Amino acid sequence: MGTSKVETLTVPDPELVNPHDAIIKITRTAICGSDLHLYDGFIPTMEAGDIMGHEFMGIVEEVGKDVHNLKRGDRVVVPFTIACGNCLFCKKKIWSACDNTNPNAHLMEAAYGYSGSGLFGYSHMMGGYAGGQAQYARALRQRRPVEARDGPARRESALPL
Amino acid sequence: MSTALNEKPNAESLPASSGAAILQDGHYLAPPEDKDGKLWARTTALIQGSPDDLYALWRANENTPLWQEQIEEVVITGVNTSRWTMKDGDKTITWNAEIVADEPGKRIVWRSLDGDINEAGEVIFEPAPADRGTFVTVLMEFRIGKLASAWETLTGRNPKQGVIENLRHFKALAETGEIPNSQTAPHGDRGVVGKMKRSLYGETIPTPPGATAV
Ligand SMILES: [Zn+2]
Ligand SMILES: [Zn+2]
Repeated sequence: MGTSKVETLTVPDPELVNPHDAIIKITRTAICGSDLHLYDGFIPTMEAGDIMGHEFMGIVEEVGKDVHNLKRGDRVVVPFTIACGNCLFCKKKIWSACDNTNPNAHLMEAAYGYSGSGLFGYSHMMGGYAGGQAQYARALRQRRPVEARDGPARRESALPL
Repeated sequence: MSTALNEKPNAESLPASSGAAILQDGHYLAPPEDKDGKLWARTTALIQGSPDDLYALWRANENTPLWQEQIEEVVITGVNTSRWTMKDGDKTITWNAEIVADEPGKRIVWRSLDGDINEAGEVIFEPAPADRGTFVTVLMEFRIGKLASAWETLTGRNPKQGVIENLRHFKALAETGEIPNSQTAPHGDRGVVGKMKRSLYGETIPTPPGATAV
């Protein structure tokens, strides 16, 4: 809730917005070293009320109408970078350069010259998406989440990606 | 952010001395320059898709509200004419437009005929080398006057940035079947400053729906 201030709050649950979205019930989430850049105010365009968390895993709760590779109940790890799967960069598997997933790309163009992909919970200029340090998250373009196979080791840890 | 025209790296550098009119051929124009009450915008995107398919998506004017910001409705009124409505809250502006050049798979040129906007534009579709998709270049010219008071106060966005954002939306829709949108992301209380910054970040301009259903 401001620089150097993080707290837990009750906020509305996320909802499906686009046909390739999925709602994930989060089971594990990470606090990353790079969250410190947000916490310290080093990355601009973080605002009061933003939800952090870009490494998370959980159980699929609901999927959009064009998601065919996931169903309710699947366990998934959600990647930090939101990648469309179809642009020139995604075709080359350069996921972090996806140029279709940052709704605020103009802010990155002003600050960095060019925008990369949208990111979960990582400032407005990198998409303005809510992150996964929450009970539920809206995951996007879910043709690419990694399916977490059954097994205690994987189920019990969320690794920084 | 919303003031400077941001030319994309793919844009060809242009001869500075040309006096050609904007609607002739976008590749041999003087660089966009604002003068005599005109605003110019020029932007290019590399889009995965064939020139024919992208042309068809653009040419379907009735679907424009899916991907252009704040276009409420486009009614086809003739083979080459249409009536456009832009809306924000209780404010509405309308104008009639006609297509003055139409080359399937290559380019479309249009202009407004009457109404609350005075504009002309061209979109060009060209195959990129090595099967890398299609370069889509948009050129637009606005005459300020009614437009400045109508569009800019309506959208809160410089018309030039609006052209850039609309091409971005078009690319996302063409490549992915949807337009990225974070405007409904849950959040805690933003406070006074955070609320003001939404407008600075362009987040108060509704992202076009892209797809019709989730
Ligand atoms: Zn991290
Ligand atoms: Zn992509």
